[in-house]
Amino acid sequence: MKKVKKKNQEHRTYRIAVPFINVGKELWKNKVLYLMTVPILLLCFLFSYLPMPGIVMAFKDFDLREGIWGSSWNGIENFKRFFESTSFTRVTFNTIWINFNNILWGTVLAVVFAICFNEIKGARRKRIYQIFMFIPYFFSAVIVGRFVDLLFSTNTGIINQVIGAMGGQEIEWFSSPQYWVKILVGTNLWKNVGYNMIIYIAAISGIDEEMMEAACIDGANRLQKVWHILLPNLVPTIIIMTLMAIGRIFYGDFQLIYAITGGHGQLIPTTDIIESFVYRSVMASSGGLPDYGFSTAVCLYQSFIGFVLVLGSNLLVKKYDPDYALF
Amino acid sequence: MKHAARKINASKNNKIKESASYHVFSGVTNLVFLLFSISTVLPMILTIIVSFTDERAIMRNGYSFFPEKWSTMAYQLVMDQDWVFRAYGVTIFVTVAGTFLCVVFSSLCAYAIAQPTLKYRNVLALFLFIPVVFNAGVVPWYLIVTRTLHLKNTIFALIFPIIVQPFWVFLLRNYFKTIPPALTEAAEIDGAGKVYTFFKIVLPISKPIVATVALFAALMYWNDYVTALWLVDKQELWPLQYMLYKINSLITFLTKGGAASLGGINTVVPNESFIMVVFVVAMGPIVLVYPFVQKYFVKGIVVGAVKG
Repeated sequence: MKKVKKKNQEHRTYRIAVPFINVGKELWKNKVLYLMTVPILLLCFLFSYLPMPGIVMAFKDFDLREGIWGSSWNGIENFKRFFESTSFTRVTFNTIWINFNNILWGTVLAVVFAICFNEIKGARRKRIYQIFMFIPYFFSAVIVGRFVDLLFSTNTGIINQVIGAMGGQEIEWFSSPQYWVKILVGTNLWKNVGYNMIIYIAAISGIDEEMMEAACIDGANRLQKVWHILLPNLVPTIIIMTLMAIGRIFYGDFQLIYAITGGHGQLIPTTDIIESFVYRSVMASSGGLPDYGFSTAVCLYQSFIGFVLVLGSNLLVKKYDPDYALF
Repeated sequence: MKHAARKINASKNNKIKESASYHVFSGVTNLVFLLFSISTVLPMILTIIVSFTDERAIMRNGYSFFPEKWSTMAYQLVMDQDWVFRAYGVTIFVTVAGTFLCVVFSSLCAYAIAQPTLKYRNVLALFLFIPVVFNAGVVPWYLIVTRTLHLKNTIFALIFPIIVQPFWVFLLRNYFKTIPPALTEAAEIDGAGKVYTFFKIVLPISKPIVATVALFAALMYWNDYVTALWLVDKQELWPLQYMLYKINSLITFLTKGGAASLGGINTVVPNESFIMVVFVVAMGPIVLVYPFVQKYFVKGIVVGAVKG
């Protein structure tokens, strides 16, 4: 009798501990493999998960001396300040507007270039084009920023020299914010079209050859083949690339934009994006102490909307072609 | 290659004469590609020419492909600046160490989570993936890195904060999944450990994908200036790109009315040409290496296509 009871009890403790024992067993059994994942997972934890609790700063009147947990709460005061300021509309609009133009014109240009590239002849010439058009992708943002200066610098830039030679009125580019969305989008196109082209050229070469041959036999001309075969076959790639870009539309290309416009306060009205705004408020380049609570609120605003957009776009991708969904 | 072969085939099949409109199309397209190709090289050439231009000529005529007066003074000046070489050294160290660690750590993790026998592989993948979708934002990150990890103004700040690139891990994992298990099992039966198998068997046969990731990592480290923008003030630790960024903003400051404060023409400091020299020196390695690595990048993009 006693023995049975004891056995029962053992059984009960065993049942409670079962999940842990199993986890432990699994970890022990494959200890080497799990150890292999440790460096990356640890670094991922340190740089991505450890900052997450810091989000509470967005709801605090953050004071460095008091630390994250010691500072006093101030509810949604930080958000209110941000949403009521003119900065909110400016950085939100600029981020989305610049990205929107990048996506739209970037896709159009890459697809048109890829199709034209496919239609012209001369294998060697094409290889040379591709090599050269891919070059800007390798330049750092800072170097590209210097190239923009070569063109637009007020006293020494090429464009003002040309304007001057034609007898026109030179423009103070770096004090004229109205031109800069176009300049930034143009720079982005120039830098990335070579990269994006490769993706579409790869998609074109994946098209079934028999389809093309069948069209030939049916007497289709070049234009008809492009319109009825090439383009429809590119649509899936276009849609997926665009959806993924839309998922990232709330994150500006800080690296490039700041390298080009960082030092120019007068361009802020059209080129200030969420990232550069946060950078300035943390580094307090306008003087005064950095306002961590406020800038965390701006970050959280960005992360939250960004999160919703990624989920949304991924849902659409999944509906369209589950193979390409992120999750 | 296959693509090119098909093109040739197709044009053989179409022995029909090309229409006049095709010739127009072909001409225009070639012209556009040609101009675009030139536009990618011209800025480099202009930078080199300006670096050899006499400072006064720049002040008078602006940047020009045909300078009034040549000069190598800026080059002599750069040679005397230790900090240029120092920044170079920092970037080379960060690129080599960062790329090496990134590739080793990423492929180790990728290999482990590619094993179907690993029960929690999907949990680990999810752990890596969540930050892609949601992150705390740069301010909490900045405070943790500077105040908790104390990485500000250390060389590690330039390496570790950007070392985890989940998509590269997944790219590697997808490749490792295609390795036939028979290969590694045979080694393990012979008594080789997992780590040994990984380094001696798996890595060598995965050269193409590992090389691709290494190249992308190297490019990322070489071109990165934003990490330094946040985490490095000390000049000894400025990487090359950040130094370029700094002197670029300096020249902006000088040309925006600062030129007057430099004094008369007699005290000309070769600042424009000087900066151009530094940029030439910085572009050098990329331009030299580019022709040799270009095709691997193309392959990498095609493999990683959408998800990369």
